Amino acid sequence: MSKSASIKKDKLIKDVVTYVLLAIFLLLFIFPVYWTFITSIKIAADTFTSKFLPFLQFQPTLKAWLGQMEVTENFKALLNSTIIGISSAALATLLGSMAGYALARFRFRRVRNIDIISWFLGLRILPPIALALPFYALIASLRLLDTHLAVILIHTAFFLPYAVLVSRDAFRSIPIEIEESALVDGCSRFQIFFRIALPLIAPALAAVFILTFAFSWNEFLFAFVLTDRIAVTMPVYIAGTVTTVGVLFDILSVRAMLAIIPPVILGLLVQRYIVSGLTMGAIKG
Amino acid sequence: MRHERIKYFFLLPAVLYVLALAIFPLLTAFVNSFTDIRFGSTKATFVGLTNYIKPFNDYRFYNSLYVTLILTVIAVPIELGLGMLLAVLVNRDIKGRNIIRSILMIPLFVSPIAFALMGQVIFYEGGGGINGILKDLGLPPIRWRSDPLIAKFTVVLSDVWMWTPFAFLITLAGLQAVPRDLIEAARVDGASEYQVFKNITLPILTPVLLTILFFRIVDTLRLFEVPFTLLGGGGPGIATETLTVYIYKIGFRGFFFGEASAVSFIYLILVAAIISVLFQAVRKFYV
Repeated sequence: MSKSASIKKDKLIKDVVTYVLLAIFLLLFIFPVYWTFITSIKIAADTFTSKFLPFLQFQPTLKAWLGQMEVTENFKALLNSTIIGISSAALATLLGSMAGYALARFRFRRVRNIDIISWFLGLRILPPIALALPFYALIASLRLLDTHLAVILIHTAFFLPYAVLVSRDAFRSIPIEIEESALVDGCSRFQIFFRIALPLIAPALAAVFILTFAFSWNEFLFAFVLTDRIAVTMPVYIAGTVTTVGVLFDILSVRAMLAIIPPVILGLLVQRYIVSGLTMGAIKG
Repeated sequence: MRHERIKYFFLLPAVLYVLALAIFPLLTAFVNSFTDIRFGSTKATFVGLTNYIKPFNDYRFYNSLYVTLILTVIAVPIELGLGMLLAVLVNRDIKGRNIIRSILMIPLFVSPIAFALMGQVIFYEGGGGINGILKDLGLPPIRWRSDPLIAKFTVVLSDVWMWTPFAFLITLAGLQAVPRDLIEAARVDGASEYQVFKNITLPILTPVLLTILFFRIVDTLRLFEVPFTLLGGGGPGIATETLTVYIYKIGFRGFFFGEASAVSFIYLILVAAIISVLFQAVRKFYV
């Protein structure tokens, strides 16, 4: 066999191994979501079987979905999660981009920039449970338990470091010259920040907003501790579902799907920014 | 640069916000950890180090420490290894890379609670999920949630499903930053694929892998949702009672805020120690 033929054969084997391995892993990673979805379109009796091909093995039905459309608690939890997610994402993005701008464009002397950045990054190791206890006491003393505001306040505090570090990275990647010439032309720092710098990093900012929204949407511990009936978010609500619904797996699956669809769609929209978002800018994506 | 004062206007809101809503409560908790304060009561007496000594006489504290560490030690290497493998595969010249990347990204956006709910079906021992498939194949059922040892495995499996994509995505981004011409030049000079990986790819990837380790260890040490919800408060018994579940029970079931705060600080010190030891060890190894 000639050398080039053997290289080709070598490549073919590697390709086959690659595709086979990838196919196996894709199946494994898609399995839980797929299984939940098909369970949501089964009749109750079928949910205890391993039938997994709709139409071929079982007759799909929208019964559970339509039934859940009439449960007002579902919509209340979805609405609460949306309100809390949008508010804390907006607050974190605003405060975070301001601080990110300061860290990207100015030099701080008494406490150096790198120390401020490390401080924000260091907040990441604080265990949520250590904050949950005193925060609960604080919110209780302010008589704010079971309000949207309580959850918005803590979510913003907890996800703000992400917004700071990711937007700092974004500001550093745009040329400073435009801002400098605007400064010479007599623009104030605020005008420069809001009219020039922010629009330039709009895509990154949108990603920060969406990722913070998704973090808030999925957060459980704080929301669980702080809410009871009125301001319950989707994770708190569906955690309660486990005890109230029991083994009504079709209903359980509909609610799980309702909880995962919004953040998954949003996450896929901003996938380009996910790496820096998840590592708080420690690694460029 | 000019405008020296204005920089504080940009920075301080975020700093003050975090100080007020995260650091201040944390300091309160630190003060509380030396008292016998219980939520709802106004009386609090100084009790010295009692709250810090008490856990060390409680077998459940040791148990939660053990559970937390063992889950971390098992789950994180699997996530890192599997994530690297997937990244290397996807980084090859393959068709449909973007769609594969998107699909593998989905678990990152599934909240642990939603996964715990999905787990009710998937890990149902009477059939329906995995056990249903096993039954069709003529295999015995697995006691996913009722066997103390297997329950730990269930938690690991859940964590691997949710977080391997994290390791995968970040390693992939790191691999794509490795200059192609450098690798090609090495290959032309006769370097084997293994040599290229060891001498070029791995050194460039090291900070990336350390970042993954940092975030994964920090997050696995605070594991809460799956043991708490899927396994009914860290069950069976206390087989999956992690530190966070343990502290939650002291703090929010018993409302022993002082004691729970003390355990939180022991836990915080532990996390900080593990992270710094890790970085020292790894630095020595690579530099």
